[in-house]
Amino acid sequence: MWGPNTITYVSFFIALYFESFLLVTFLSEPARKRRLTERNSNTAPSVAIIVPCFNEENTIASTTESLLKLEYPKENLSIILVDDGSTDNTANVMARYARHPRISIHTKENGGKHTALNAGIRIAKDADIIGCLDADSFVEPDALGFAITAFDRPEVMATTSAMSVHAPKNLIQHMQYAEYIFGITMRHILSSMNSLYVTPGPFSLYRMEVFKKIGYFSHGYQTEDMEMALRMQKAHMLIENSPRVRVYTKAPSTITALIKQRMRWTSGFLRNMLFEYRGLIGNPRYGVLGIGVLPLSIFSIITVAGLFLFSVFQIISNMIHMFIVSRGIPLSYILTPHTFDWFYFPITTLLLVGIVLMSMTIIFMIIGKQISRTPGKLTKSTASYILLYWIISPIWLVRAIADTITNTHHTWR
Amino acid sequence: MNTITRNAIIALGITLLIVGTIVYTVHYINQQRLSEINTMQTQLSTDTLSLETQFALLENAPCQDISSDTVFSHGLSTLGDKLAFAEGRLGSRDQQVIELKKEYALLEIRDYLLIQKLSTTCHITPVTVLYFYSNTGDCSSCDRAGYALSYMRKTYPRIRVYSFDYHLDLGALKTLIEVKKIKPTLPAFVIQRKRFYGFTSLARLEKEFPKDLFATSTATSTGSQK
Repeated sequence: MWGPNTITYVSFFIALYFESFLLVTFLSEPARKRRLTERNSNTAPSVAIIVPCFNEENTIASTTESLLKLEYPKENLSIILVDDGSTDNTANVMARYARHPRISIHTKENGGKHTALNAGIRIAKDADIIGCLDADSFVEPDALGFAITAFDRPEVMATTSAMSVHAPKNLIQHMQYAEYIFGITMRHILSSMNSLYVTPGPFSLYRMEVFKKIGYFSHGYQTEDMEMALRMQKAHMLIENSPRVRVYTKAPSTITALIKQRMRWTSGFLRNMLFEYRGLIGNPRYGVLGIGVLPLSIFSIITVAGLFLFSVFQIISNMIHMFIVSRGIPLSYILTPHTFDWFYFPITTLLLVGIVLMSMTIIFMIIGKQISRTPGKLTKSTASYILLYWIISPIWLVRAIADTITNTHHTWR
Repeated sequence: MNTITRNAIIALGITLLIVGTIVYTVHYINQQRLSEINTMQTQLSTDTLSLETQFALLENAPCQDISSDTVFSHGLSTLGDKLAFAEGRLGSRDQQVIELKKEYALLEIRDYLLIQKLSTTCHITPVTVLYFYSNTGDCSSCDRAGYALSYMRKTYPRIRVYSFDYHLDLGALKTLIEVKKIKPTLPAFVIQRKRFYGFTSLARLEKEFPKDLFATSTATSTGSQK
């Protein structure tokens, strides 16, 4: 009974249900209220923003400059650049800011991003809020002002931002631009149900008490930001999202680099879930995150990878069948295009459900762009996404599953 | 009821509505396809009946009134292609498909008999092929044979292929199988009244056709047929 066709139908139904649920949630009051949040906080807690660096000579200056432009009381903002044993010119670029009154520079032996972040937290021991910003990301001047507003609610322990791709140039980056914009809506909706399970490297902010209560960053299978968010969720801490906090990040420009990055994210997620936080899956104590988001995320990774492999198998089988069937027939006949007839147009349930799903995804992208007011045009990016994402994404999913099963680890760079 | 539960129920309603609409749309489109096949079949049935009537009225002398275009219309094969597509979509066990296949088989048999009559009377020399296939898994080379026949039919317009599902439960077809003494060794062919079983290659199949077919026919690479 549970053949590939049934699994496909069930997967499409679940995907459709989940997207409908997200759309309804987006329109409901908790999410609406969050969108109305303006930069109206009267408080300006002391903030320390940590920038962990490893071989970021090309971007660290721009990242630092963007932080210096933040519209926030100067006396309450400090920037900590942590060089995690870079072997390129990062140290020299950082040295340019050595005398800046708000910037402190710390150099250490290479130990991984989580150790760099922890070193920064130790330096910023007097700060109320700890911000983290990857060294290849840049913030808008008003980002911190909007982000801090989230902490007006005492129960909020961390807040995430609206990430998008910095200056997309080729199709791969445009595809990611659309994906990130889609992610803005997702994070906004999921946060209204406290279901975020990642506090991304590009500009997430934490109350200092988070680290005091549940500890510092850990390796987290190379996904320290995900591990921290899961640990917070396990401790029933509230993670908020501020869609008006705009941050731009450099996206991989080649398929190889993209697959490598996403393999790390996906296998990190699977490993964290299966080996460290299995207790959250299906657990109603963790609300929508436990009973919906986490099980569905795992289910979608496995089914998309499985259906992709099955599709590849089917395409190859069909090609072999076609080769056998047409053996001996002149190529001129085989390659002659048939006259178009609507009768033969393959309108199937799956095709139409796929079109609906894609339409909803595009709607979420438009919403993401609107609520975050992210600059840039969506047309080319959406076209790249539709064209490429379904081909490329299953590759990293399949490989991430294989790595998790075989316990294979790759270096980040 | 809290907001999340309410949203979950509304989302389920929306999902069911979307899925219901899609299922209805696909069903409607499939019905339209069957309806188109039915209309084509009715039209061809009328054409065949008209030819049969003409033949009866003119008593062995209808030749000047029957153009070879009419006799060798592509309607029947186009209809067969569309029926095969509908069968692929709805499954070979779909009752409507089975009924349409029966009507189609009847139409083919009538056309075949008429062509036999006309070829004798009017000196038209079509090359007729009765092709018996099965899609119940007992014919491993039927796909290859069917594709090869499609190629031949399109390349040599004189060839008129009549395809029959060997297992179709239709009295007239059973009689045809009996009259032609077709064994259940599929694929089976009757090419110019000569029986031939199995398919190995196009070259081997071509040997069963009259040699003048390849000498006099103009090979075509285009056509209106699928």
